[in-house]
Amino acid sequence: MLLSDTLATAYRAISTHRMRSLLTMLGIIIGVGSVVLMVSVGRSFERYVLDQIEAFSSNLIEIYPTGFEKFGRTLDSLTYSDYEAVSRLSTVESVAPAIFVTEKVQYGTEEISPFIFGTSSNFFHNYGQKLASGRLLTEADEKSARSVAVLAHQTAIDLFGQRDPIGESIRVGSRSYTVVGVLESLGSALMQDMDTPVYIPFTTARAATGQKELSYMSMKSKGDIDLTIADINSLLRQRHGIVNPDGDPDKDDFRARSAEQAAEIVGQVTLGLTVFIGLIAGVSLVVGGIGIMNIMLVSVTERTKEIGLRKAVGARKHDILLQFLLESVTLTLLGGIIGIVGGAALGMLVAAVASKFIGTVPFVLSIPALIAAILMALVTGLVFGIYPAKKAAELSPMAAIRWN
Amino acid sequence: MPSKKAPLIETIDLCKSYFNEELETPVLFDINLTIQEGEFLSIMGPSGSGKSTLMHILGFLDNPTSGKFLFRGDRTKSLNDDELARIRATRVSFVFQAFNLLPRTSVLDNVMLPLLYHPTIPASERVERAMHAIATVGLTERATYFTNQLSGGQQQRVAIARALVTEPDIIFADEPTGNLDSTSGIQVMDALQQLHDDMGRTIVLVTHEEATARHAERIIHLKDGRIASDSKKFKRVRSNGKGKLK
Ligand SMILES: Nc1ncnc2c1ncn2[C@@H]1O[C@H](COP(=O)(O)OP(=O)(O)O)[C@@H](O)[C@H]1O
Ligand SMILES: [Mg+2]
Repeated sequence: MLLSDTLATAYRAISTHRMRSLLTMLGIIIGVGSVVLMVSVGRSFERYVLDQIEAFSSNLIEIYPTGFEKFGRTLDSLTYSDYEAVSRLSTVESVAPAIFVTEKVQYGTEEISPFIFGTSSNFFHNYGQKLASGRLLTEADEKSARSVAVLAHQTAIDLFGQRDPIGESIRVGSRSYTVVGVLESLGSALMQDMDTPVYIPFTTARAATGQKELSYMSMKSKGDIDLTIADINSLLRQRHGIVNPDGDPDKDDFRARSAEQAAEIVGQVTLGLTVFIGLIAGVSLVVGGIGIMNIMLVSVTERTKEIGLRKAVGARKHDILLQFLLESVTLTLLGGIIGIVGGAALGMLVAAVASKFIGTVPFVLSIPALIAAILMALVTGLVFGIYPAKKAAELSPMAAIRWN
Repeated sequence: MPSKKAPLIETIDLCKSYFNEELETPVLFDINLTIQEGEFLSIMGPSGSGKSTLMHILGFLDNPTSGKFLFRGDRTKSLNDDELARIRATRVSFVFQAFNLLPRTSVLDNVMLPLLYHPTIPASERVERAMHAIATVGLTERATYFTNQLSGGQQQRVAIARALVTEPDIIFADEPTGNLDSTSGIQVMDALQQLHDDMGRTIVLVTHEEATARHAERIIHLKDGRIASDSKKFKRVRSNGKGKLK
């Protein structure tokens, strides 16, 4: 029997029992569909996160004090002269020192507890923060340790509502500050935290808290970011008297980190997610495959008469085997395709809906995942179709004639 | 070497038993039967006498338990499943009591079915051959109908067309009128008769009805798995003047 005839026969068997075929495929459709959905949603959000990181912090480097033995109290390894030394590196620009201030912020009867950064104007540049009204922090503010504050978008709303905050006086802890500027919103769900801080001059914060060391510093890399980080590492190790040729992070008392590294972490998380989804896919395809085997076995019993007849008119074992195998493979492939289309459509919908709330979420379809889904559907059809097909092939032609 | 005049089918002391687990059910005993090309033969006998069993063996659907079965003078012993299938595809065909057509499938597709498994007839000839066979049984106008839209008699004629389409050496019909009313039965028998008379086909007709069997030139009676009488032998013996003995 020609392969095209076998295919046509399998196709006819499927299309004459549409409802049953659909039910048979359901397991595969749901399995493949949910995997494609999950993978595409995962990929879409990964892309979204990476886009955000890219947009808000390209070339950004942050240096934090670390130190295992000092765990539990304020880390004090980053000093102001470290900041000055780092500023002199030719590979960085726009270095901003920062001190965290833990105080309540009050205006009239409103009281909130935002992040408070004591920092310099470079900070706004590093994080792509734009001014909405008033002015940013200046060198003059810094020099004379003025009691002025810049409010992020959301904080300005929380404290002042519709009123204009510029020139108003707020309390940070026991001191009074004049609001000189308000920032634009970043408009990103992922970066929502960036819309809440209060910024005061570094020197003012140092005086208010009595903290001499830096909580952290931020900067932009001028050239290759990895080379810049290497530069920073060797400078600070030298300054701190640390011998660490292998770059063991446990030996350092600071850590210089780029947003690219954050992106790598995102990538690792999604990889873990992909493996997890793969496992679910495996399980659901086995379940779908067992469903197919079940129906195919019923189908073989039901079609004993047809099989016997085919044999009586000359079908050989492998004609029948191939017919039933092609039938189950066609079912799983068809189920796989329907699953892919359905899963991708749902994924697109999820991305579209999410875009309405958290800013553009690009829809990403993973081609390798699609190919894997099709291959797995194919293999499922083969593995779970072979037993029923063998059963059909072994039936005696007498079965048709004696059957009543 | 088979001689040129070797009969189409010859059995020598052919026996058949069914085995269910340990239990042996002997059904046919020492069947000695010769069928010549072009014969129209009827096998008669009461229900359970082994008619179908014999037909299945002669039609390569089943193997005998012992004895010889020669087809055109060739021993057919120890043919494997695929070889049996090949012979069924090319040499023999069947008309069953229950029609055994594919439901929800057109008359044309049903008649073409054996051609799918035929090793030499090219795909391009299938429709033409099938339409020719359908014309032979007078169903040209029904070719595109689904078989379940036809009357019983028409369905059995579709089965005859299907048996005809591969131009086999021999056609076996097992109680072909058993499920039909008498009018349809006559139409079906006329169709079979025509195959023999006009086209010279070899036909073996299994029936327990005297009226149906009378279409054949030669009648064999089976009783309890043995040939009780053979009209051909009877004729031949009678022409020798000893006919009354049998
Ligand atoms: N598969 C089988 N196993 C055991 N006995 C069988 C089987 N098929 C048929 N028989 C028995 O063989 C005998 C002959 O059956 P069959 O050839 O169908 O007779 P007929 O066609 O003359 O009615 C019956 O007694 C029947 O019960
Ligand atoms: Mg019978």
